[in-house]
Amino acid sequence: MSLPESMSRIVVVGTKSRMEEAIEAFYSVRVLHVIDHTSGADGMSIGTPLPTNPKASERLLKVRAMEKELGIGKDTETARVPVAEIKSQISSGTIESVEAEVLKVLDVKNDLNRRITEINIKKKSLEVLAALPVDLELYSGYKSLAVIAGSVEKDPSEALKAIADSEVFVSFKKKEGGVAAVFVRAEERDKAASILSEHGFVEIAVPEGKGPVPEVLVLTNESMADLNAKLESVSKEVEALQMKHKTFLRASDEELSIEIEKGEVPLRVAVGDHSYVMDAWVPTKKVEIVKTELESRLGNDVHVEFEETRGRNMHEEEEAEERFKKAPTKHNNGIIAQEFEHATSLVAVPKYQEIDPSVLIMLFLPLFFGFMIGDCGYAIPFIILGAYGLKVTHHKDWRAIATVLFFGGIWSFLFGFFFFGEALGMHFVGQFTGQWKPPLYMTWEGLLGVQMPEWFTGLLPHGHGVSKLEGTDVRMLLKLAVYIGLIHLMIGYVCGYLNVKRQHNNKHAFFEKGGWILSFTGMVVLCYALTQWMISGVPLDGLTLYLLVIGIVLLGIGTAVNFKTEGAKAIIELPGLLGTILSYARLAAIGMSKAGMAMAFNYIVLIKLMGITAEAGGAVEWPAIYMIIPCLLFLAFLHLVVWTLGILSGGLHALRLQFVELMTKFFVGGGTRYEPLRIKRVKTILTKTEVEKEV
Amino acid sequence: MAFEGEASELGIAAIGAGLAVGLTGIGAGMGEKDVGAAAVGAMTEDRSIFGTAMIFMVIPETIVIFGLVVAIIILFVL
Repeated sequence: MSLPESMSRIVVVGTKSRMEEAIEAFYSVRVLHVIDHTSGADGMSIGTPLPTNPKASERLLKVRAMEKELGIGKDTETARVPVAEIKSQISSGTIESVEAEVLKVLDVKNDLNRRITEINIKKKSLEVLAALPVDLELYSGYKSLAVIAGSVEKDPSEALKAIADSEVFVSFKKKEGGVAAVFVRAEERDKAASILSEHGFVEIAVPEGKGPVPEVLVLTNESMADLNAKLESVSKEVEALQMKHKTFLRASDEELSIEIEKGEVPLRVAVGDHSYVMDAWVPTKKVEIVKTELESRLGNDVHVEFEETRGRNMHEEEEAEERFKKAPTKHNNGIIAQEFEHATSLVAVPKYQEIDPSVLIMLFLPLFFGFMIGDCGYAIPFIILGAYGLKVTHHKDWRAIATVLFFGGIWSFLFGFFFFGEALGMHFVGQFTGQWKPPLYMTWEGLLGVQMPEWFTGLLPHGHGVSKLEGTDVRMLLKLAVYIGLIHLMIGYVCGYLNVKRQHNNKHAFFEKGGWILSFTGMVVLCYALTQWMISGVPLDGLTLYLLVIGIVLLGIGTAVNFKTEGAKAIIELPGLLGTILSYARLAAIGMSKAGMAMAFNYIVLIKLMGITAEAGGAVEWPAIYMIIPCLLFLAFLHLVVWTLGILSGGLHALRLQFVELMTKFFVGGGTRYEPLRIKRVKTILTKTEVEKEV
Repeated sequence: MAFEGEASELGIAAIGAGLAVGLTGIGAGMGEKDVGAAAVGAMTEDRSIFGTAMIFMVIPETIVIFGLVVAIIILFVL
């Protein structure tokens, strides 16, 4: 069982004047997990960002703004740029010159956009006014006359007659509403406005201009088209700029972000007048390498001191100074188990002192998934999809899913081929030889009219594979599922015991977890004896009686031990033990429900729709080809439904058995993630010699 | 109406199996409704609690699996 990697604490002391160089060195060793300095400790305060940082931040801001304007995002494909090249470009002021170039075009674009908006407003007003026979220049330029124009919902002409010396123009259609322009004496303006407002009036600003409104409208449309054409050409220029500068912008974005991150390191370490002190966690096996590397780079200006190697006993953590209490958790897993670390971290990051469940998840998650699917036909697409996913995707969520599909698919194939002997809900063997007839009798042998070789039938249990839908086999499957569960749970309890033993001592472990192991074993033995006696009808004497007594005794001792540590909770949780064990029956139940669905679909399509009948030993009579093709397509669709449900139910239930049944037995979580100083470059690239400098 | 013969025995068993799955399904659904809503709400606040949320989420769902197992036992084992 893998524990997180052993961690050691070191202190790095160095001369302040060479801090910038030191930070480069810290990043190049890639393993330093910095312990943040809290101001005031040791009489030293935290440092200030490197002097280059403000300039870099300012440039980054410019770069990000340009990226936003030009529509360059994370997913924009760009080439990788050598670091030295991008650095020299940034320092020679390329960002500023690119900015000038981009801003020039963007200013034009923004100006055009503004003008288009203005003209749009003007156009809308003109379109409304076009219904009135009033030239545009007549709407303005009066001293004693007020002009009100706008759209109305009701016809106001009758009501406006009440105002003397007024000239009213109204164009009104009942359904669409209308437009009104009212010319009144200046002092009558308010009166006219109040009458109009009763008719759903919305005033419009009359644009400036001369001549009949429709003519002005035509001119406006022309200038609008002109502006749009200009905008299009400017947009093309923007696109060209995006193409031209996207590589530079993405690369400088990354480089500047890295520069700023590095520049902020002094905020995490103690800095005095002439020196700095940095505490850090390092994987124990890397301590010497880090020491030699830092000293070879910085010579006498740095001193690395080893402080402690953190053990797994909780005492060490409790006795440590507050900020050194928690050692970070660095998963210590092989290449396959690594893919399951994400599943673990969905629950929590393991504590430094506890077993990392990733390996157990790696073993059992695909196994359970495969057992529940248990079908060659569904397994192959799972394997292909999983392998493809692992090849193309880098996102950890998708990788975790692809891993489960791939390994789960392999297990599913193995179970489907050697144990259940079936593909797409149909057994390989049976009916053609006349020896065995599965429920609803459809088998591959019967369907294809072939006979499986004897060595193959010899491989399968009962010569035809375990049927998920036949009485005796179902009973066996349910038992098997529970037995698998017992092993799974026992592993969980033992891991729990080992955890507590490592964190405290044997006595502690016995009282905390040993009691549960005893109760669990007692419950299992007791249930076995009871089912033998009450269900299978074995007389209660000899072995059964001994088992019954042993079960009761173990359960009693276990509960007593638990009662001492946990109180009444120990008794309340006893039925839960049984529930947990029975919970594994889902392994069989879900497999069966899936097989049941597949069988029903096969029956519907092959037997009912296509009318295939096959007598034992006889050849299949297929319908005409024009029937076969649509029927098989329909069947494929139905199987796709089963397959998709398989991912959901199989995957989720397999995961749940790990999270709920297994991990609650030993896993606590709440560790600190190991986050060393290291840079991940995506858009920029180091030269070979620069890479060699990194440890 | 008297239930006699193999056919009606099977029918009664099938009804029993149906009830076992159906009723536990309703029960699990009612349980998960509340837990699920709360879990989604909590997850919008903090994405990292997905694992814990899922554990809470699937606790009531065990009951429907028991129902399924009982149905299977009724149909195939008894």
